[in-house]
Amino acid sequence: MASGKAVDAVYKVKIPAAAAKLRELYYMAHFMHSHAAHFYALAAPDFVVGPDAPPAERNILGLIGKVGLDLGREVIRQREITQLVQQMVGGRATHPVWNLPGGVSRALSGENLETIKGFVPGLVAFGELGLKLFEDIVLKNKAYLDIVLGDGYELVTNYMGLVDDRNRVTFYDGAVRVVDPDGVEIDRYRESEYLAHVAEHVEPYSYLKFPYLKKLGWQGFKEGKGTSLYQAAPLARLNAADGMATPKAQAAYEKMYATFGGKPVHKLMAHHWARLIELLYAAERLAELAADPEILDPNVRVIPSATPSEGIGIIEAPRGTLTHHFVTDERGIVTKANLIVGTTNNNAPISMAVKKAAQKFIGAGGEATNGLLNMVEMAFRIFDPCFSCATHSLPGQMPLTIELKNAAGETMRTISRS
Amino acid sequence: MKTLVLGLGNTILRDDGIGIYAVRALAGRVDGAADCRESECAGLDLVEMLRGYDRALIVDSIQLEGEDPGTVFRLKPDDLRITARLASLHDIDLVTALALGRRLGFAMPADVTVYAVQVADALTLGEECTEAVAGVLPGLVDEIAGEISGGGCAKISRPLGERKRRDA
Repeated sequence: MASGKAVDAVYKVKIPAAAAKLRELYYMAHFMHSHAAHFYALAAPDFVVGPDAPPAERNILGLIGKVGLDLGREVIRQREITQLVQQMVGGRATHPVWNLPGGVSRALSGENLETIKGFVPGLVAFGELGLKLFEDIVLKNKAYLDIVLGDGYELVTNYMGLVDDRNRVTFYDGAVRVVDPDGVEIDRYRESEYLAHVAEHVEPYSYLKFPYLKKLGWQGFKEGKGTSLYQAAPLARLNAADGMATPKAQAAYEKMYATFGGKPVHKLMAHHWARLIELLYAAERLAELAADPEILDPNVRVIPSATPSEGIGIIEAPRGTLTHHFVTDERGIVTKANLIVGTTNNNAPISMAVKKAAQKFIGAGGEATNGLLNMVEMAFRIFDPCFSCATHSLPGQMPLTIELKNAAGETMRTISRS
Repeated sequence: MKTLVLGLGNTILRDDGIGIYAVRALAGRVDGAADCRESECAGLDLVEMLRGYDRALIVDSIQLEGEDPGTVFRLKPDDLRITARLASLHDIDLVTALALGRRLGFAMPADVTVYAVQVADALTLGEECTEAVAGVLPGLVDEIAGEISGGGCAKISRPLGERKRRDA
């Protein structure tokens, strides 16, 4: 979606309104199944089965063992439906070839729209189900609530997210807004301006860069007011905005901030809560788009006529603000490309969150049990990181090594998982 | 026996498309004996894709250290935490998908085999496999077609236990 918008800019073409709505409709379905996979398969088992439960039980099987088979069937069914929506709108659920410079390759048929409308009540109910589950299982359980509200998972940074013209969360198009740790807007830019606002620091030990706010300069891995680091993931989007653009999601947004006593929220476990609010927003926004008469407009593409040159596209990916920047020759052949993917934005915050969790839960001279190791991993998991996208590497494995060092820097113990 | 042949991959990343190409080549040869399906997804989607089949033959790419490009490994689900799409940091793996489907009461295949082809290049944009990987496609298709028909065929695949570097 970001590359589609970037290529529109490369060809200097404004796409028809119906094309933008179809792209957004497709994208809302994507957001739903991406967030659902993360919450139900990866995040919820930590809370439902327990953070210190054996790994063999702390998974989606353990989750449905506790919550019930109906939930599992509903997750599978609604994910299947959202991908079906994507197929009906864009031909394929993954790697569609329908998103073209100047719009999309085909209009939505009335028959497919009616089918999608039939799915809407179930999708919105599925969005509400996640929030109810979170409330019942996490918020009503003191031990888990203590984890959410405790200082083991806390990081004070700036927050980034796309907002609409009323500063409400949006995923497909808008202005990038950044607020400081007090919630005050400190930066705002449109796609074409990103290079003046964001820069990428390089460390020799990592393929992955460390973005920061250019006007504040690279200050290292420092949190707190004045830091140039920012988060760009579900909680960051909600912190950076003034609200949600749909009613049920807005009510959930208000409830979350009331629970924390205001905004912005720096408790990292709130990313899970924010992710579920976004899932509900995506369902409601999907419903709005399906009800919009313009969605059936057959005018879905403007054939580009300008000579291609350079373009930038920005969207909110499930894991954070996604920027695509292409420079082409006069034939449209890409000569330069830069991508700042969702996870890349969060590289420094992830590193710092993991370190803080390790220091908090393992502590000086502490014993790193499997449960504590998982508590550290939970700091990583809240960002739903996609390192294969961020580093363009596909190892298919997640090795983890923790070295426990004493005050002299000597390694006391190493724990590894291949 | 209801059989699915599932090709996983991405046809714009050179050798990563081998699973898709294999399934496309098989489609005309196994009419009625198996359903042929291709996908660029895995994870939770596997539950729906595999549901209702007695047997599943999955073709995917693999990237193991020290192996020769074009080597075809024959894996069983328990081996499977090492291919690009069948193990993921933000989704479930094949073993979990099979167990989840069964726990939910779905009919999941009892017999699952994965043919994993060692890639030479799965990171460069391109719609053709490298020579080494393209070269094994006919033999791989013959082997899978023989497996489906029960007629047998020379095997070019080898068990994962025969990888060169067991410690890699």
